[in-house]
Amino acid sequence: MSSDAVTSASPPGADAGVPAVELHGISKRFADVVAVDGVDLQIGDGEFFALLGPSGCGKTTTLRMIAGLDIPSEGRLAIFGEEVASWPPDRRPVNTVFQAYALFPHMTVAQNIAFGLQMRGIRGPDADRQVAEATALVQLEGMEHRRPSQLSGGQQQRVALARALVNHPKVLLLDEPLGALDLKLRQEMQVELKALQREVGITFVFVTHDQEEALAMSDRVGVMSEGRLLQVGTPAEVYEHPANRFVADFIGRTNLLEGVTEGPSAVRLDAGAVVAAANELAAGSPVALSVRPEQVRLHRRGEAPGDTPCLDGVITDATYLGHAFVYTVAIGPTAGASGTNAGERAATITARSETGSAALAAGEPVSVSWSPGATTVVAD
Amino acid sequence: MSDLGTAGTKRSARHLLKANAWFVFAFLYVPIVVLVIFSFNDSERVNVWQGLSARWYGEALGNTQIVSALRVSLIVAISSTVVSTVLGTAVALALDRYRFKGRRALDGTVYLPIVIPDITMAVMLLVFFAEAFKLIDTFGPRLTLGVTTVALSHIAFNISFVAVVVRARLDQFDRTLEEAARDLYATPWRTFRRVTLPLIAPGIAAGALLALTLSLDDVVISAFTAGPGATTLPVYVFSSIRQGVTPELNAISTLMLTASITLVVASLALQRPRSTTP
Repeated sequence: MSSDAVTSASPPGADAGVPAVELHGISKRFADVVAVDGVDLQIGDGEFFALLGPSGCGKTTTLRMIAGLDIPSEGRLAIFGEEVASWPPDRRPVNTVFQAYALFPHMTVAQNIAFGLQMRGIRGPDADRQVAEATALVQLEGMEHRRPSQLSGGQQQRVALARALVNHPKVLLLDEPLGALDLKLRQEMQVELKALQREVGITFVFVTHDQEEALAMSDRVGVMSEGRLLQVGTPAEVYEHPANRFVADFIGRTNLLEGVTEGPSAVRLDAGAVVAAANELAAGSPVALSVRPEQVRLHRRGEAPGDTPCLDGVITDATYLGHAFVYTVAIGPTAGASGTNAGERAATITARSETGSAALAAGEPVSVSWSPGATTVVAD
Repeated sequence: MSDLGTAGTKRSARHLLKANAWFVFAFLYVPIVVLVIFSFNDSERVNVWQGLSARWYGEALGNTQIVSALRVSLIVAISSTVVSTVLGTAVALALDRYRFKGRRALDGTVYLPIVIPDITMAVMLLVFFAEAFKLIDTFGPRLTLGVTTVALSHIAFNISFVAVVVRARLDQFDRTLEEAARDLYATPWRTFRRVTLPLIAPGIAAGALLALTLSLDDVVISAFTAGPGATTLPVYVFSSIRQGVTPELNAISTLMLTASITLVVASLALQRPRSTTP
């Protein structure tokens, strides 16, 4: 998987011509369980798209419907403009890298890779050349005559990739392809897979439950929960502007401060403060204010710059991580703030700061602040 | 102290198990060894050793009754094995992957021939053939018991054994492999030919071998369903025992034993992983 040869650099994004994959109101029911519930999605040509969600959220079922291994109960499904919802998997121009690779144990590496070519009637020197190319692409030269059982997990994963890519599919589907690898290999493969996608220029649809992996690798991310697609956007959009509470909580670490809206530019927190936060909800809506730990600024009580709106709190825990400190700060009625009102509830905020700054100790009274642009108001 | 006690108990248990293993071994194989040795006995009498000779092999193979019984046995065994392997595999596949009406009932009854006594099965088949012939006779053709009815009877019980063995293999089969093949442009039939069949082949081969062995072994069902001229080798051996055991029977038994061992070895060799050419 050499990253130097970027042969195809088609611009990623859903707006580039005919979408590679298009889902309209796709649902899938198994008996009385709704696995996928009305998903609308467009994936652009050449895009690296991640479907992200906890296990059982319907992401794998969605992928299987694109592959043709599950037939949608409802909805339309098009691949490069062609309606394929009722097509069997062998007629669809897509290939899949399965979660446990599903390599044929009775065939050698070369035979596994050649399988798709053979099924399409490509044999002889032409097939041999393509198999050799695919083998080289995933750096498995010399392994051609081994059996899958004689390979390591990482090598099996490469065979699975080569077996799919040798067919030059219009879309490559990957179902948790790195799930079976250990952490170090997983991180290496993330980089390689991303480079490989750039090199071959094929649309990748990648299913994962690992949000870091999804953010690191993909052009766009679709977050799923309980069969629904909650938000689609670039990793930055999804991280910085989560569409709802679930997405805010699932993507990265965040502080969710409960409160109610007070007009379009303020939220009254349950912890007892009114803070500036733009929102489009009716006044009085119950919401949560999402503040990322790295956006939280801590000041010793009284040392905050005069014009910054602050919440008062007390550090309850300080953890040293080498490159950063993680502080837990208690705010609200019990934190020693003045004039406790009825209905106010205590809350905790997690803050993260680089180790270069002065360390704070547990028990120290502090003021907490953030810039208004760093927060997102999320509803259920 | 208790540690020492446990170690001692473990040691004596190990010795006991070892002795048991040897005892079982002897129990199984000593009679066979005796049979083989006495098949090379020159004597007219089975239990008197008179010197090494292969004369009884010659006599057995020169006996037209034995040769004809052997021929019937082989025809019945091979035909019933082929048919029951195909049908038994089909039943196992159907039970493994399809949900259809009557599946549970079939699942429960397909194995019945394994548990019901041979004699019951034999009487059952005899009555069935008699009634069926009566019915068919009203339309003209006159049917009688013969090699065909023996073969049909063997198919009837062999299907169950093949189905059980193949089903066990299918239980371990990873269905994702079929999905992968379908994803790689294989039609359902080619998926079966190139992925499913090669991977369950050891199970099918084992089932076929079992069917062949059971067919060659069967006495009771064959005796009931065979007409004149359809005597199988085991039935012949069984009926000639009534005139006393002859060294000739030792020779035939040794030949049958050799055939069985050859079959087992061949099947084991077949089941060894080997490279498949694309």
